[in-house]
Amino acid sequence: MPWPVYLALKQLFPTGRRFPFFTAISVMGVALGVMVLVVVTSVMGGFGHELRRMIVQTEGEVQVKAKGLLDDVGGVLKAVRATPGVAAATPYVAGPVMVLAEGRPAFPAFRGLDLESVEDVVNLQRFVHAGSIAELDDDSVILSAGVAQHLGARLGDRVEIFSPLFIERLKRDEIFLPRQYRVAGYFEIGHQHLDSSTIYGTLRAAQEIYGLGSAVHGINVRLLPGVNEVEASSRINRSLPANVEAMPWTRSWESFLWVLNLEKTINFFLLLFIVIIAAFSVMSSLLISVVRKTREIGLLGALGGRPRDVALCFCCQAFVIGLTGTLLGVAAGFGVLAIRNDLVRAIAGVLNRQDTLKQFYQFTDLPAHTLPGDLILTVVAAVAISTLAGLLPAWRAARLKPVEALRSE
Amino acid sequence: MSDVVLSARGLAKSYLSGDRRIEVLRDVTLDVAAGESVSIRGESGSGKSTLLNLISGLDAPDSGTILWAGAPPAGERRARYLGMVFQSFYLIPELDAEQNVLMASRIIRSPGAAERARARDLLARVGLADRARHLPMQLSGGERQRVAVARALVNSPRLLLADEPTGNLDEHTGDAVIDLLLDLCRATGTALVLVTHNAAHAQKTNRSLFLHTGALR
Repeated sequence: MPWPVYLALKQLFPTGRRFPFFTAISVMGVALGVMVLVVVTSVMGGFGHELRRMIVQTEGEVQVKAKGLLDDVGGVLKAVRATPGVAAATPYVAGPVMVLAEGRPAFPAFRGLDLESVEDVVNLQRFVHAGSIAELDDDSVILSAGVAQHLGARLGDRVEIFSPLFIERLKRDEIFLPRQYRVAGYFEIGHQHLDSSTIYGTLRAAQEIYGLGSAVHGINVRLLPGVNEVEASSRINRSLPANVEAMPWTRSWESFLWVLNLEKTINFFLLLFIVIIAAFSVMSSLLISVVRKTREIGLLGALGGRPRDVALCFCCQAFVIGLTGTLLGVAAGFGVLAIRNDLVRAIAGVLNRQDTLKQFYQFTDLPAHTLPGDLILTVVAAVAISTLAGLLPAWRAARLKPVEALRSE
Repeated sequence: MSDVVLSARGLAKSYLSGDRRIEVLRDVTLDVAAGESVSIRGESGSGKSTLLNLISGLDAPDSGTILWAGAPPAGERRARYLGMVFQSFYLIPELDAEQNVLMASRIIRSPGAAERARARDLLARVGLADRARHLPMQLSGGERQRVAVARALVNSPRLLLADEPTGNLDEHTGDAVIDLLLDLCRATGTALVLVTHNAAHAQKTNRSLFLHTGALR
């Protein structure tokens, strides 16, 4: 082992002596910074992962849309279902509506489902907490829990639905009366946005509300397990007319996914400052070490040690402090993630805010998903920053002249 | 002269103190033969340590030349060619006695079995065989200086420079350390330049010199 590495390890982990205090403080600083980075990137990753999972669960991996309305539903469905890798496909109509219940309005998105094929693509039944998809017909709707709560609507109640077509007809002095629908159930997916502003009805009901005739807005496609959505989209497109396009969910939600990644990246860089501050602690403890060990540094020069080897000794110390702190931080981070929900519940319990969390966050439990890439980036960044913090002390140590260092008091 | 391990010719060194230039050494010439022991005495501030620093290559003279066995001093040669013992022992507190001795070997290369055996042998010869695993803080002043002597000799240097090695020791321990130093140098054929205030210690060397007003007599 080269002597700078040997001496660095001996100074950090001295035989028969306690772990040096300043080193311990530096290691703890790096560990805390890394722990926070691991926890936050994992929780942000968890939110992203859950959102992606819900998008795919509720819309399928591929969406087929036309430039305008999709008229030839049967032909396109046949072509899509015949494409290798496609497990199932279901048409849908989606758009904003106004719902009135006992004079109380709500403005959710209405999603019309083809009851014969929807369960093959989107397993909605498992999200329905009251009522059943089987009870849905052309005269009924299933409300999301948030919409039902807002309207105060219960099972069996009747609600009135107004569509944009209502305004279009009014412009032409025509009266288009709203239709009444029976509440056949409530659903709760666990996604705050969907749970607060969505209602489900049949495809025919939606086509009637929007005056579409037999046309639909699009087709959701479920792929066989392991099939890549981009490649599947390309295959589907080869069998579709020119005005119809299949696109993977990653492209349909491109902007949303970009914002998710941007949030995570910004969080990472903001929290990286904790590691940078910890690196200043590493730097100051090593600078103190250079001052305290001035005569030893002089001795190493007198024994024939080269200045660059003296510098390497301090850089090694910074590297080992960074690596030790990072490994401890990663372990502590995973420890915190393991008890994250208990911690959140405990904090919410102390503040008496259990319901507030559920109301404003999109998930009942705090999700966590650690991507290997995020973990590698955290480890590399923390170790690199800590090692860089050793450069100034290393430079100071290398500049010491042995004669002056040996004379110092 | 192939047996001359140190040849210093016309060495001069001065320092600036404020606006004043202080001449510390003037035209100092010194030859040391292999196996020879030379003592240098002088008053405090007479330039003894400065002379050792020039000889060791840790400092550069204003003028004059220094040759180690005919070659100019070079940093990378110092570890093999020179051993140094200081008034303050300068042991590394995190290393035990044997590791401190081996530190001088590590500067050259990672120590193998031969280097470890030599370190243990030297510790035995300075009477510290049973203290090899002790940290410096667990050793007395005399023991620490003996570890420093073993460290200075572990690379079998041609020349040993000792700068007031008994300055921090009591008289009895100091005498013992000087005797040990001389015995070991004699046994290993190592030349010794000993800077000391002690006339009795100086008389034990082959040649005794005195540094006064920057000149060596």
